[in-house]
Amino acid sequence: MSLTLNLLLNGIALGSLIFLIAVGLSLIFGLMGVLNFAHGAIFIWGSYAGLAAFNASGSFLIGIIAGTVAGIVIGWVMERLFIRPFYGNHVAQILLTLGLMIVLTEGLKYFWGPNLLGFDKPAALTGVVDVLSDPFPIYRIFMIGIGLLVLVGVHLLLSRTRYGIIIRAGVQDPEMVQALGINVRRVFSLVFALGAGLAAFGGVIAGPSFGSITPDLGMANQLNAFIVIVIGGIGNFPGAALGSLLIGIVQTFMAFYLPDVAVAVSVAMMALVLIWKPEGILSVRR
Amino acid sequence: MRSKLFNNNWLLAALLIVLALVPFLSSSKFLLTMLITVFILAVYGMSYDLLLGYTGIVSFGHTIFFGLGAYSVGILLTKTKQPNMLWVALLIAIVGAALIGLVIGILSLRVKDVYFSMITLAFAELFYIFAEKWSSFTGGSDGIPYIRVPSFFNDRTQFYFTALAFLALMYLMLRRVVHSPFGRTLQAIRENEQRVESLGYNVLHYKLASIVISGCVAAMSGGLWTVLQKYVNTSVFGMDRTIEALLMTIVGGVGTLFGAVLGAGVITFAHEWFSSLSTQYPLFERWLMFFGILYIVIVMFFPKGILGTILDKWTQKQGGSRNAASDSKRSKSIL
Repeated sequence: MSLTLNLLLNGIALGSLIFLIAVGLSLIFGLMGVLNFAHGAIFIWGSYAGLAAFNASGSFLIGIIAGTVAGIVIGWVMERLFIRPFYGNHVAQILLTLGLMIVLTEGLKYFWGPNLLGFDKPAALTGVVDVLSDPFPIYRIFMIGIGLLVLVGVHLLLSRTRYGIIIRAGVQDPEMVQALGINVRRVFSLVFALGAGLAAFGGVIAGPSFGSITPDLGMANQLNAFIVIVIGGIGNFPGAALGSLLIGIVQTFMAFYLPDVAVAVSVAMMALVLIWKPEGILSVRR
Repeated sequence: MRSKLFNNNWLLAALLIVLALVPFLSSSKFLLTMLITVFILAVYGMSYDLLLGYTGIVSFGHTIFFGLGAYSVGILLTKTKQPNMLWVALLIAIVGAALIGLVIGILSLRVKDVYFSMITLAFAELFYIFAEKWSSFTGGSDGIPYIRVPSFFNDRTQFYFTALAFLALMYLMLRRVVHSPFGRTLQAIRENEQRVESLGYNVLHYKLASIVISGCVAAMSGGLWTVLQKYVNTSVFGMDRTIEALLMTIVGGVGTLFGAVLGAGVITFAHEWFSSLSTQYPLFERWLMFFGILYIVIVMFFPKGILGTILDKWTQKQGGSRNAASDSKRSKSIL
């Protein structure tokens, strides 16, 4: 396997991870107009909760379930208590979610300490497998698989189910959906919990690939997700997928060839999209 | 009406006199240093209030400007070994802040306001990384230690009066700005952007001007911060520094200018107090969590902060119930 292919696969694995965070953020923003600055904190809470359950039970699957449930619970509580009273008030929402980010991150530091915590790969996913007669980590392949699974799952949810239709209609015009007799608020809660659950799920999946986790990883990964939704267009599901892939691949190549400017390149790409097509690369002007 | 109490120049003059008397009443170097810290951070907080409280846009990268000031003073004083280059460094910082404010503003305000919060956050991260990687200039994560500042600032009392004068001057300047026709337009944009636009104002230009002014003021406070610390490292571009501006403004009172001064005092002294408590109770090492909770409570239930809430009570006591009513309606839309 050539170096380029290796980097490409690594990039796709990173992109899958970013996608897990970005898709929830993008849907929540598209549907409810809430830019959730605590999304990264939920991601890393998923990581910690997953690690705790993984260590306690020895089963990675239980870790994944525990982390995801933690995210869904945090998201649901957050929406009910903090977001719901402030629909339509963007400034208050931004300020509130940032406050929640502070409290969630500091809470992690209080319970688990601010230092690195080792997160081992589950035994079944350790080691390498031959891709085109060259070794490649199994876990990266697992990540790509999970990314594809979520991509297809969310796509089916959005395009084939009644809820998906309501969500897509809600992104376009929430008032109209409400007028048709659908309880949009309940859909809001569901999407918020779903988005938070996906982020936390991503957190558990990401944990072993980081090798060790710290509470500050939440913010760093949230930034990537922000850049992705600016590039892909807010509320645009295919845009989020394409943007994640793009950022994942570009960052991996940059980290290899020009490690010093890897992050700068993502920000530069975001700036370029803002100049050239501020509504996102895949969006059509409505 | 709410600003009437603090339009009251007598009250402010009295406060200024009390603060000016502090060095004569107490020789505690520690107290003076704490107060200098409060004054410098208060200017930083007020600059943030111009954006958040008066223009209604949320920046999560305000520390870019603060850090720019801090680093340009740190770098220039060490590279030239000329402490008196301080003024040139401050000038460079102001010009740099204006340019960067323009670039970030033009990039992000073309879309929706929420983009601004997101994009400023991304840019702050970018500056943080630059400061870390470009170590020949910035000293990397070790920072620049032992910065030689003009000997004038080595005398605590002289520095104290300079910082106090700086705060007073910036307060008067910013108050002038927010009460000018320009400032009124900013507040109108905060209240109802579409209406201002339909009246023929170029909203983008007004917002850009607000970002530039606020950035220049923050850069100056960052420069003085380096003079006080004699040390600068990447933390000046950190998320915590932006959160600090946010906390000071929100806790003190959004859209009051003076609230940021109050907030700076509360945060600085409480931080110090929590740090001293943390030796006994480890819970207080997570002092930011307490501020986070306080901040959430204020945003949810007292959207006007300490000062705004007190002012409301005060106007109600004065029997100005009609004014208070219209007032509360007015400031509701800030948060």
